[in-house]
Amino acid sequence: MAAVTTNPPADPPIIRARGLVKRYGANTVLGGADIDISHGVTGLLGANGTGKTTLIGMVLGLHRPDAGSLAVLGLDPVSAGATVRERVGYAPEHHNLPGDLSAYDFVRHVAEIHGLPRKEAINRASDMLWQVGLGEERLRPLGTMSTGQRQRVKLAAAIAHDPSLVLLDEPTDGLDPNQREVMLALIHRIGNEFGIDIVVSSHLLEEVERICSRVVILAAGDVAASGSLEELAGAAAGVQIDLDDRVEEVAALLHQAGVHVEVTGSRIVASSTLLAEPGLYDAARDALAQSGASLRRLGPRRTSLEDVFLEIGRRGAQVGAR
Amino acid sequence: MSTPGDARIVDRGYRHYTGERRGRRGAHRALFVNSVQRALGLRRKFRFKLIPISVAVMSYLFAIVFVGVAALLPDGLGEETVPDYASYYGFVTAAILLFVSIVVPEMLCVDRRTGMLGMYLAAPLTRDTYLAAKAAAVLAILSIVTIGPLLLLIVGYSLVDVGPTWPIEGFGLLARIVLAGGALALFFTAFGLAVSALTDRRAFASAGIALTALVSAAVVSALVETSVGMPAALRVLDVFNLPFELVRRIYGERGSYPEVGTATLAAGWLGWVTSCAALVRWRYQRLVVTK
Repeated sequence: MAAVTTNPPADPPIIRARGLVKRYGANTVLGGADIDISHGVTGLLGANGTGKTTLIGMVLGLHRPDAGSLAVLGLDPVSAGATVRERVGYAPEHHNLPGDLSAYDFVRHVAEIHGLPRKEAINRASDMLWQVGLGEERLRPLGTMSTGQRQRVKLAAAIAHDPSLVLLDEPTDGLDPNQREVMLALIHRIGNEFGIDIVVSSHLLEEVERICSRVVILAAGDVAASGSLEELAGAAAGVQIDLDDRVEEVAALLHQAGVHVEVTGSRIVASSTLLAEPGLYDAARDALAQSGASLRRLGPRRTSLEDVFLEIGRRGAQVGAR
Repeated sequence: MSTPGDARIVDRGYRHYTGERRGRRGAHRALFVNSVQRALGLRRKFRFKLIPISVAVMSYLFAIVFVGVAALLPDGLGEETVPDYASYYGFVTAAILLFVSIVVPEMLCVDRRTGMLGMYLAAPLTRDTYLAAKAAAVLAILSIVTIGPLLLLIVGYSLVDVGPTWPIEGFGLLARIVLAGGALALFFTAFGLAVSALTDRRAFASAGIALTALVSAAVVSALVETSVGMPAALRVLDVFNLPFELVRRIYGERGSYPEVGTATLAAGWLGWVTSCAALVRWRYQRLVVTK
C-alpha cells in the first residue's frame, strides 16, 4: 500500500522508526514501518489490531523489534530503556487499577517509581490531581471512582514526573460524551499549555481530529498516512458544490469542461490535475449559470480525517483485490 | 495589608520539574517500600492490616511468653521446659506458613490482575529489577517472622540470664539465628513467588501455597515411611518440612530425619530455591503487559 506522507516535520522527531518489524509467531504486526513523530500532539490511528499498542510497547522498550531501528527522544528504547522510560509518561488502555488505593497514593507512587524523590512526588501528586480536576477527590479510593475519573487519574499519573513525552492508549475508552469532552480538553491543554509532547493512540477519528496537530495512520502493519491534519486534508483538494436540483446536469457540464467529478447525493466534488483552484471555481460558476441549478453551497472541499481514513481503506481493498 | 476585595485563588499552573531524578535505583526502592507497606496493610484500611499483623504478632507471642516464664520462674524451670532456639520454630510453623500464604500472593497477583505491572514496566524498572524488588520485599517481610522472634528470644533470655554467654557463644548463636531464619525466608520467598506467578487470583495462590506444602509433606511421608525401597532422600521433595529440617541442622541438631544427610538437605533447599526462581523469571519474561 502506498503511504500518503506529507512533508516531514522540521524539528528532529521525538520518535523515529525505520523499517520497524514486529512479529508474534506467524502474525506480522508491524511489517517494516517508517515513522516520524514530532513535537506536539500526535494521533496514532488505526483499526483494532493494526499495531498501535505494539508500537507503544516498543517505544517503552517493552518489546524488542525483530528488524529495523527505533529511536525515542534520540535514544534506543531497548538498550537505554530505563533512561527513556524515566522521561516518558504512559497511561494504559485498561482502567482496572488497585481499587483500595487512593488517587493521591496511586499518582504519588507512579511519580516515585519514575525516580522522583518522595517529597517531590507528594507535592506533584496533589498538583497533578488538581490539574485534571480531581483535587477534591484525591483521597477517594480508585475503586469508588467512575471510569472518567479513573481515566483522569491515569492522566495525572502519566504527567506527575514531568515527562518529555506522554503515551496515551485509548484515553477516552469507556467514557460518556461529557467525560470525553473533559478528557479531550485536558489532553489538548497538556499538549499545548504544559509543553509536553503527546502521542494519543485511538481508533476514533473525530477525537483525534479535534486534539491532534499531526497523525500517523497504521494499516496492515505499515504507515498508511502521516503528516499534519491540514496537509493530509490538502492531499485531496477540490471544490465542493451542494445543490438543491439538477445535480446530474451540472456534473455533466463540469465533465465536459475537463473536470473530474464525483457525485454523492446532492453533492458534487470537482477536482482537476490541470486546473488550479481559481479555474475550478470558474468552471463551477459556468456550469451553474448554464444549468440554472439552485446552489446551496460552493466552497473548498471539506476533507475530514475520516475521508483520508476511508480512502486508505479503499486503496487497501483495491490492492488486496489485485 | 490586603482587603477582602483583593482575595483571589492562585492558580500555580503546571510546574516543570528540574530537580533530582533517581532513575532505576529510586524506582527499585520505591517499589520495595510500597510492596512492604501494602503486604502489611500499612496505609490501607484496617481489614488489610488485620491478618498479616495478627500472624506476625502470633509468631512473637511464644517468644514473649517463654521469656516471661524464664524471668518470673528462673529457678522453677529446667532446661527442658525452656525451648531452645531450633525448637522454637516448632511453635510457629503454622504461623509462618499462614504468613507466606497471605503475604506473598499480595506481592505478585494483584499487580498482574490490576494492570499495575504494566505501569511498573513503563517506569525505569525492568522485569528482572521488578522481580528483584518484589523478592526483596517478601524476604524482608518473612524475616519478620523467621528471624525477629528468635532475636527477641535471645535478647530476652540474655536479659534474664538464661541466654548464651557473651560474646563468643552469643554471637555464634546470633549468626545461626540469622542464617537459619534467612534460609527459611529465602526458601518460602522463592516457593511463594513461584506459586503466585502461576495465577492472577490471590485466593488461588494462597490456597496453592498452603496445599502444595501440606500435600507434599503427606505424600513424601507416606512414600518414605510406608513404601519399601523408597530412598530417604525423597524427603527433599517435602516443601513443608525440608526448610525446617535444614534449620535444625544449622543449629547443630540431628533433626527429625537423621537418615538424610545435611548436604542432601542443603542441595534440596538450593534446588527448590533456584528452580522456583527460574520458574518465576521464565513466567515474567513471557508476560504481555502493555494492554
